[in-house]
Amino acid sequence: MDAQSALQQQTDVDLSKLSANDKAELQQFIVNESQKARIQQSVHSLTDICWKKCITGGITGGKLDKNENSCTMNCVDRFLDANFTVIKHLDSLRGQ
Amino acid sequence: MDSYGSSDKSRLMAQVKQEAAMNNARQLIEKVNEHCFEKCVPRPGSSLSSGESACFTQCMEKYMAAWNVVSRSYINRIQQEQGKAGAGAGAGGMF
Repeated sequence: MDAQSALQQQTDVDLSKLSANDKAELQQFIVNESQKARIQQSVHSLTDICWKKCITGGITGGKLDKNENSCTMNCVDRFLDANFTVIKHLDSLRGQ
Repeated sequence: MDSYGSSDKSRLMAQVKQEAAMNNARQLIEKVNEHCFEKCVPRPGSSLSSGESACFTQCMEKYMAAWNVVSRSYINRIQQEQGKAGAGAGAGGMF
C-alpha cells in the first residue's frame, strides 16, 4: 500500500468543514512541508554523491576525518557550482 | 463545529509530518545499507561476521555524520544564493 492511500484510509477529513483560517493555515503548512521534503531529498542525493567521492578508504571509525569532512563540504559547493553553470549555459543558449 | 474542524486539521498535519519523517528515515536506511554493505561486506560469507557488523555500526554513524555535514553546507549555500537573488526577487525565494 502506498503512502497516499494509507493517508486516505486513516483520515476521513472533510476539508470543506474547515474554516477559512484553518484552510489558509493548512495550505501554508503544506507549502512548508513540501519545501522541507524537497530540501531533505536533495540532501539525501548529495550525501549519496559526496560519500562516493570523499569516503574512499575503509571504515575505521564512526566519525569523518578532517580530509573527509572538508572534501564533503567542498563536494556540496562544487556540485552546486556545476549545477548553476549548467543552468547559466542553458540560459545563454536560449538567448541565441 | 469550529473545534471539530480544528482537530481535524491538526490530525491531518500530524499525519503529514509522520509521513514525511517515515519517508526520510526510509531513504536514509536505504542509502546506509547500500553504501555500508559496499564498504563492510566486500565478500559475503555464510553469515555476517562480528567484524562486519561492527563495521556497519561505525559506517552508519559515519554516514549520518556525512549527511549532517551535507545538510549544513547545502542550507548555507541556499541561504547565500537567496541573499544574492533576494535583492531583485524579493522575499519569494527559490524553494
